[in-house]
Amino acid sequence: MQTTEKIKKINVPYLLLYILVPLALIVGCGVLYATVFKKGAMAPILSMAPTLLAALWWVGGGRLLFKMKQKKVAAALKQRGFVPNSTFNGKNCHVVVDAQHGEIALLFFWNPFQCAVLPANRITRVWVDDGATGSGIMRGSSRVSFLFTLDNVTIRVNTFTSNKRWNMDSNYILTGISKADMMANVLKEAAKVEH
Amino acid sequence: MGLLQNLRARFCDDYCDRCKTQAPVAGQRLFALPMTVGNYCSHKDASYYLRNLHPVSGKADIPAGYYACNAIRYRCADCGRQFVKLSIFLPVREQEKFEEALLFREGELNEMVP
Repeated sequence: MQTTEKIKKINVPYLLLYILVPLALIVGCGVLYATVFKKGAMAPILSMAPTLLAALWWVGGGRLLFKMKQKKVAAALKQRGFVPNSTFNGKNCHVVVDAQHGEIALLFFWNPFQCAVLPANRITRVWVDDGATGSGIMRGSSRVSFLFTLDNVTIRVNTFTSNKRWNMDSNYILTGISKADMMANVLKEAAKVEH
Repeated sequence: MGLLQNLRARFCDDYCDRCKTQAPVAGQRLFALPMTVGNYCSHKDASYYLRNLHPVSGKADIPAGYYACNAIRYRCADCGRQFVKLSIFLPVREQEKFEEALLFREGELNEMVP
């Protein structure tokens, strides 16, 4: 697993491959189906299989790859003496904090091949965004996250996301806020460690 | 003994199950529980709480993301029997996310709550 000191949230070739390769597969198989294998046993395979495979990849393939890379990151960090005191698995970013040595490791969903390991004292700002909008009984949120600025790059890690809006008193929101507050405190403490 | 009193003793935590009467609060104490948000695991065994509950003076002493436990000791005015109710919750800023309540009627945790 490659580790670096530079933060790169998006690996553009990976992002394009993630979107375009399944599309190319669908189009390619569609062309073959329309021109060569219009009838016979290959016809249903060529018409259905690429779409199903593409859907599977878009739904779960990226996540599976990200999870596998997280395990590799854990092994690579252990090898270099990194002590994982706190770990947070966000959907978009995997954060591991070594509070003893004041280091932070980051793995991004859109850049799963490169893990950034940086001194935590480069963090300049840490805060929690509860995503609250509205007022009174209409006050609610659909996203809670903790954010930090590291080397002038702002990183948002979601602790709760939903496709619907929840009341600020709901258990989902309270759990998300609690996780975000805890991680914000961990980052603040790690940033204080002298190198 | 009336049906209502029996039902109360069965379902209300602050009722003495012997005398079927309401037991007044004799003591209360706040503890920190060494479990973090997202990793809560229910324990029914009193020895777990004897080992892991740490007394704190207020919610402000509990780090963000850690569970708290409010222990209330009841003492029956009629028979003198004591029992403890644990209310486990996650303090989130000014709010509380309730997790579960446990009742220890055999006096296992009585000495923890002065």
